[in-house]
Amino acid sequence: MAEETTLTNFGDEDTQKDKYLTFHLAGEDYGVDIQYVIEIIGIQSITDVPDMPAYIRGVINLRGKVVPIMDVRARFGIEDRSYDDRTCIIVVNIDTTEVGLVVDEVSEVADIPENNVEPAPRTSKNSEDGYIKGMGKINNDVKILLDIHKLLFSSEMQKLAENLEEQ
Amino acid sequence: MSMPLDDDQIEIIQEFATESRDMIEQLEPAIIELGQNSDSDTINAIFRLFHSMKGSAGFLEFDHMTRVAHAAENLLDMIRNDEIELAGNHVTLLCAACDFAKEALDMIESDYNDDAMVAPADDISEQLHQAMTLAKGGGEPQAEAVEETTPAEPEPPAAQPAAEPDSLQMEITDEMRQSFVQEGNELLQNTEQGLLAWGENPDDTDSVGDIFRNIHSFKGNCGFFGFSQIEKLSHQMENILDRVKSGSSLAVDDPANRLLASLDVLQQAVNNISDGKDDTVENLDQHLSDLQAIIAPRLGDFLVEEGVENESVSRAAQTQKKPVGEILVEQGTASTQQVDQALKKQQDTIKKSKAAAKPAARTKTPAKRQDIRVELGKLDSLINLIGELVIAENMLIHNPDLKGLELENFNKAGQHLSKLVRELQEMAMTIRMIPVSGLFRRMIRLVHDISVKAGKKVELELIGEETEIDKTVIETITDPLVHLLRNSLDHGLETPDERLAAGKKEKGTIILAARHEEGEVWVTIEDNGRGLNQEKILEKAISKGLIEGDGSDMTDKQINNLIFAPGFSTAAAITDISGRGVGMDVVKKNLEKIKGKIDVHSTPGQGSKITLRIPLTLAIIDGMIVRVGTSTCIVPTLSMLEAYRPEMDQITITPDGDELAQVRDNFLPIVRLHDILGKKPDSRDLADGILIVLEAQETRFCLFIDEILGQQQTVIKGLSDFIGNVPGVSGCTILGDGDVCLILDVGTLIESAESKKIKFEKTKDNI
Repeated sequence: MAEETTLTNFGDEDTQKDKYLTFHLAGEDYGVDIQYVIEIIGIQSITDVPDMPAYIRGVINLRGKVVPIMDVRARFGIEDRSYDDRTCIIVVNIDTTEVGLVVDEVSEVADIPENNVEPAPRTSKNSEDGYIKGMGKINNDVKILLDIHKLLFSSEMQKLAENLEEQ
Repeated sequence: MSMPLDDDQIEIIQEFATESRDMIEQLEPAIIELGQNSDSDTINAIFRLFHSMKGSAGFLEFDHMTRVAHAAENLLDMIRNDEIELAGNHVTLLCAACDFAKEALDMIESDYNDDAMVAPADDISEQLHQAMTLAKGGGEPQAEAVEETTPAEPEPPAAQPAAEPDSLQMEITDEMRQSFVQEGNELLQNTEQGLLAWGENPDDTDSVGDIFRNIHSFKGNCGFFGFSQIEKLSHQMENILDRVKSGSSLAVDDPANRLLASLDVLQQAVNNISDGKDDTVENLDQHLSDLQAIIAPRLGDFLVEEGVENESVSRAAQTQKKPVGEILVEQGTASTQQVDQALKKQQDTIKKSKAAAKPAARTKTPAKRQDIRVELGKLDSLINLIGELVIAENMLIHNPDLKGLELENFNKAGQHLSKLVRELQEMAMTIRMIPVSGLFRRMIRLVHDISVKAGKKVELELIGEETEIDKTVIETITDPLVHLLRNSLDHGLETPDERLAAGKKEKGTIILAARHEEGEVWVTIEDNGRGLNQEKILEKAISKGLIEGDGSDMTDKQINNLIFAPGFSTAAAITDISGRGVGMDVVKKNLEKIKGKIDVHSTPGQGSKITLRIPLTLAIIDGMIVRVGTSTCIVPTLSMLEAYRPEMDQITITPDGDELAQVRDNFLPIVRLHDILGKKPDSRDLADGILIVLEAQETRFCLFIDEILGQQQTVIKGLSDFIGNVPGVSGCTILGDGDVCLILDVGTLIESAESKKIKFEKTKDNI
């Protein structure tokens, strides 16, 4: 994707409420709360960092800032796929930590009111990771809404951090 | 201060807080020094600091702070005037006053008032007053008299019209005397500077005007306070300066020096006054006549020299309407010849002094050092911008689009740009550098407090205070330094009895030193105490399960380094000073944060020495760009010793599979960078690649890479917090083509390689 889409901070909480950036990943649609999204960029060269879990692909240079990149496919344990010109990096910011998420394709910004969001199904797998915030319904479509915080800082990441400290 | 404050007021208050903190920083070492030798300079310095603090606090209506500063000032005043003896508890009290001021400042900075400090203020001022009355041997009423809280009191004595009009001899209070001394000192200092400048450059009438004004105000003050003797002297100086101003010639070549001599007399008198004596000037007449001599001598003086009777000359001078010479000739008391000769002499003298004045070219008066306070945030963004500039410069000069082009002019311009950027960078770095003296001086207080608490006698020696370190680094090493000093005092140094028994001096020494070494700053803390007890350390480490086995295979260094292990504490009993076992590992962590290292050397019975090795700058390093397969990395040039293409017969492979390279007489282990990065190299054959000999913390090893691409100054950026610490990598930077490039951490590289090998072997075993 040649063009870069920058979502400026709307500043006003209300305008960002119930808005989700949706993206494709292995045939499913996902959504992330738009207040965390800083910008969307096309895929670019990623520098490897040793001793990282497979889903941390490395770091990129985002206008002088060094931003780590997480491959969401690898994070979910979905089979790898080579990056193409639709592959995007969604840069999110949580508590001043910026992370880029590699997704297959970004679709749109969707409005999903709270009453259209079903709680996440309690499957055994989900209870472990818990990075699904809920299921958003738009007409007949279903978007899997992700809890960005857990996606980035789930127990697995913490375990990794602990491992590193032990070393 | 119930009114809401506007921004200006807040700014003033903040300024006040910063200034007062600076003052406290100066106060503390001075107070400690006072405890050791109470010379009047120190007392005066402390007095002045408290006084100015009181003044500004009073101005801003921080009453409680004013009260305490005032009480401290009173106590000091009495000590200074020899009304009471300086006692040990006075030092402690003054320290407490400092502590109070610090707390009050915290309060002021957050709430913009010190209302909440009532109780502690009462407490401390009460203690100070008690100390005064106690020391005076019974409550003399004077202590009460000085107690009344003085409101805001801006200096000049002229602004004290409190004098009763009916009493001729004005009541001069101590306070007024103080103001006089303070202002007098200032005026005299200015005069001195002016005189020195004038001496350098006699044509500079501006400075003469300055000197004149200063002396004039001084004279005025003297007159107001009734110090008639120094008033006379300064009046005489003023006269001379007035003549100079109006362009009259002087009789001497070095009027400035002569005036300086008189100035010293004035200064001495002011000092006497400040010590509570009167203004008597010894040999006042002598000084006055010395000054008189500066003024161009009248012709008569020369005539007397020529043998003309003194009386006739003065008579002539009295009837002087015509030139003296003529009158004398008329009166027949002097021959024309004599007068001519005298006239000639007078001319000569004037010419001479003018000639002496000429060669001094108009040199500027030495520039005063000027400082401005800048918010640290601004400075940081400036440094960041310069960092970005360095990257941008690299991107431009090493732009891939330019590859293979012959661009002579571009390259020239590029080199020029690089040079400027480098200079800018260096300049920016020095802006952030501040001398360690501030940090070191804070330790004086700490050492004093702890040694009193622990009942130990200690002398703290500071070396290399002028060494400059990055401000952030100073902040980061403050806590470690405190910990280390506490440990030295608490564990290292013995009690006086123990020391005497061990045949050492009763007083222990701690040397705190800073210096530049190997492109780093080394801060060392050295004590001459008992040293580290290795047996005890081992015992403890084993009992706490910090090491495996009995430690018999450990080197001394490794044993010493155990004290930095988390959860380690050797003090038999936990004291409130140190020994909670949290200190030393925090010390190490803090240092690692700034890429520093820590070394321990210890000789049992002789003492121990701890060295903090800190990189000069945090932000920029010289690096060698190396390539392995498709990835590039940066190796800090500082740790590189050499690089070469190995011959296979220089390589030895041990039965364990370790590869060793022979570098002259040494066998160094080889670390393969491609293994660490998990990359595929061009060739796994050592002979096809390059070995770089690296050194870190006295261990050397070889790093195997495909090739060296070039050298570059790089701006260190942290890998994101999200990724955390990566073994073998200290950070990253952005290369000319915009790619992120990892910077290798030579110190942990070899550890990382070892741990990988273990993992590798484990997986091999599993298969």
